[in-house]
Amino acid sequence: MDLVSGLFEAITASSTYVNAALFAGLLIFAASGEWIAERSGTINISVEAMLLAGAFTSAAGYTATDSFPVGIICGVLGGMVVAGVQAEMSHRLTADQFVVGLTLNILILGLAGFLARVVDLTTKTAPRWTIPGLSRIPLFGDALFGHPWPFFLLFLVVPLAWWLVFRTRWGLEVRASGEDPQAGDVSGIDVNKRRRQAIYFAGFTAGLGGAFLIFVQVGRFDEGVVSGRGFIAIAAVIFGGWTLRGTIAGCFVFALALALRLQLPNYYEGVPTELLQAFPFLVTIFGMALFAHRVRAPAALARPFVRGLK
Amino acid sequence: MNADHSELTGVGADAASTPAVELRGVTKRFGAVTACDSVDLVLQRGKIHGILGENGAGKSTLMKILIGLVLPDEGSIHVDGQAHQIHDPLAASKLGIGMVHQHFSLVDALTVWENVALGEAGRLDPQAVQHRIGEIGEHYGLTIDPMARVGDLTAGLRQRVEIIKCLRRDPSIVIFDEPTSVLTPEESMTLFASFRDVVAAEGRAVVLVSHKLDEVIAATDEVTIMRQGKVVDEMITADADAPTLARAMVGRDVSLRGERAAFGLVNAAAADPADVGTSDDSTPGDPSSPAVLSIREASARSPQGITLLDGLSLDVHAGEILGIAGVEGNGQRPLGDLLSSLVTLSSGEVRVSGEIVSTKTPGAMASAGIGVIPEDRHDSGVVLDMTVAENLVLIDPARAANRGVLDRTRLVESAEQLIAEFDIQCAGPDAPMWSLSGGNQQRVVLARELSYEPKVLVGAQPTRGLDVGAIEYMTSRLRDAASDGVAVLLISSELEEVLDLADRVAVMFRGRIVGEMARDAVDVEQLSLLMGGAAV
Ligand SMILES: Nc1ncnc2c1ncn2[C@@H]1O[C@H](COP(=O)(O)OP(=O)(O)OP(=O)(O)O)[C@@H](O)[C@H]1O
Ligand SMILES: [Mg+2]
Repeated sequence: MDLVSGLFEAITASSTYVNAALFAGLLIFAASGEWIAERSGTINISVEAMLLAGAFTSAAGYTATDSFPVGIICGVLGGMVVAGVQAEMSHRLTADQFVVGLTLNILILGLAGFLARVVDLTTKTAPRWTIPGLSRIPLFGDALFGHPWPFFLLFLVVPLAWWLVFRTRWGLEVRASGEDPQAGDVSGIDVNKRRRQAIYFAGFTAGLGGAFLIFVQVGRFDEGVVSGRGFIAIAAVIFGGWTLRGTIAGCFVFALALALRLQLPNYYEGVPTELLQAFPFLVTIFGMALFAHRVRAPAALARPFVRGLK
Repeated sequence: MNADHSELTGVGADAASTPAVELRGVTKRFGAVTACDSVDLVLQRGKIHGILGENGAGKSTLMKILIGLVLPDEGSIHVDGQAHQIHDPLAASKLGIGMVHQHFSLVDALTVWENVALGEAGRLDPQAVQHRIGEIGEHYGLTIDPMARVGDLTAGLRQRVEIIKCLRRDPSIVIFDEPTSVLTPEESMTLFASFRDVVAAEGRAVVLVSHKLDEVIAATDEVTIMRQGKVVDEMITADADAPTLARAMVGRDVSLRGERAAFGLVNAAAADPADVGTSDDSTPGDPSSPAVLSIREASARSPQGITLLDGLSLDVHAGEILGIAGVEGNGQRPLGDLLSSLVTLSSGEVRVSGEIVSTKTPGAMASAGIGVIPEDRHDSGVVLDMTVAENLVLIDPARAANRGVLDRTRLVESAEQLIAEFDIQCAGPDAPMWSLSGGNQQRVVLARELSYEPKVLVGAQPTRGLDVGAIEYMTSRLRDAASDGVAVLLISSELEEVLDLADRVAVMFRGRIVGEMARDAVDVEQLSLLMGGAAV
């Protein structure tokens, strides 16, 4: 079989779409919170650490109680602990947000690897919910309507993110903080508090993302479960031009790339593994290169806010 | 306006003895600069209180102390007889203090109603906010589209939003920091005419910071005059006249024509062309010589499809000042932006000394020798986070750079020279730009553009927000530039300024030039008709 027909087979296999949906689910959890953090003015690179912490704590929570809801709540708490460090360090103590994020990513990776070795974790994926009838639609049925149940939390989180940002006063203040913190401050809003809260929300959704990894996608924890997906979520926000719709579209594009990478070797073995590994990231880079210059970032993105500096 | 006011009126009636605000011995130092030096200020309910002073006198700082943006080093603040520490704008707004800022407090990316709603508490109710904007607009003559994006608005309209945003919170104490520097004269007249009535009826206390004497005389009940951080005089407006106020403000007699025009002491309509002395002794350009700046049939649209320029043509010759008169919002800003390489033409061309200049390449206008003093110095004029020295070389880093590497010694040297030459008040070349008062930031822009020795100098509302001394200085600089052979284009919504400076006056209406006349031949009535869009 040659590359083209191999690709064709991969693209028409329904399991590609099941995998893509799983990857997309994870990316969307991470990216919807990341999107809010960026709208508030923070490039929250510790989303990677938040995912990993959430994955570990949800696995630990499930091991202790045998309960999926408890596991998910533990995952959220894990994500939010990392968010707490990021938020308080960068928007209360005015440490550099990238330095804090980078440190957290390294720290949590080491910690999770260590703990995974000393703690005995027993986990599995949650029971599947299949929506009868709909899940039998050819090609996309299983991808859309047949997953372990925590998958469907997505349908709560994405509308929640949208509603918060565009329909509440909080969201208005978050957007103002990301666009013009000085003007926001003069108007009487607490810019750094809004930014911290936006990071906590990112911790919340990334924590869910971590739980998703364990209970929906993979079934068990190891230190490599996240492996860069947090960064792809950041890329999706950029790819989407800091709009929620675009961000989700970005998640789907990158998820499809990740799924094709998994699927292609089943049909065609001629592509070197290294290249295959790199494929989703190449798509990410091309995607960003194509779209990044056409869109406008929040004007104060990555610029710390200090009172009186204007 | 709504039910709250009946209560306010009740307070106002018996509170004449307790001032709304009483500042005692308020002092604020910024390093070596004492911005406010034991200032006393008393604001009464039902009165409009004017504050006058030169650039850097400390007016804005004093107002920022009241609104909680700056904490005083010493002194006390009493609001309605109660001592208060005002730590942030939220605390001020709880005390009923609202401010219309000199430096915009609007977020460009948000719509008008979103900006108005920003910083309030409670559930977000877009319909209610939009409705209220309509009501306030009608009440004070400040109509505006609540769905427009603030970044797309002209400076005048943005100022309206700023005012509406303040009034929407129904403050009992209202602070205006140079609100009218970007409003048209009619707008500011309507605003303050309606204000005088409501202030008295609703028992509000109002502070008006301004450089315009006629406005202060027309709009206020009391005046406080500041010089170098100190209160130097206080008077009842009815007892004062413009020359008295001017003398108190500057500390000497004011007699110069330019200064008098700056103060609005000369009525443009009454001015006899022969009296407009100075422009006559400058050497007007020779109209038969080829134009240095020549714009032909220039048309441009905004990304939203709004027509910005509509077949505009004009010529400016070496050594002459061409004044563009017109009501704000008729394309003056796009014209300034075009010459700053910020607008791309859909048709038409721009030539400098006969050479076509691309409107697509960023920076092409500057390289072709066009210097611009921009309309909104906060938008395009300066970078507030950079130092004074860096801002001074912004346009031409080559001057302080060696093969792309900035030479600090040279940077600082040339900055120091310009600071001295243009009398910029700041702590030194390394002072951050945001620490300068509004008027001194404007001087930095002027210094930078002039030191670059342009062939064409564009002044877009160049004296906006400047004090008397600085206006005098700015106008004489523009005249000097013209007599040195620079082609000067002056875009101003202040007719007096145009008549005072220009050799030729062109009127702009809806993105094009609708009429042109030599200064000596100006008929003010005809000019006003043209500005209003009447075909002549
Ligand atoms: N944050 C700051 N840091 C340092 N110096 C400052 C700061 N704010 C103001 N100053 C200085 O205090 C002085 C008073 O400034 P202020 O802005 O109050 O003047 P102003 O009377 O409002 O002038 P203008 O008419 O130009 O607006 C100026 O010399 C200014 O440079
Ligand atoms: Mg000021």
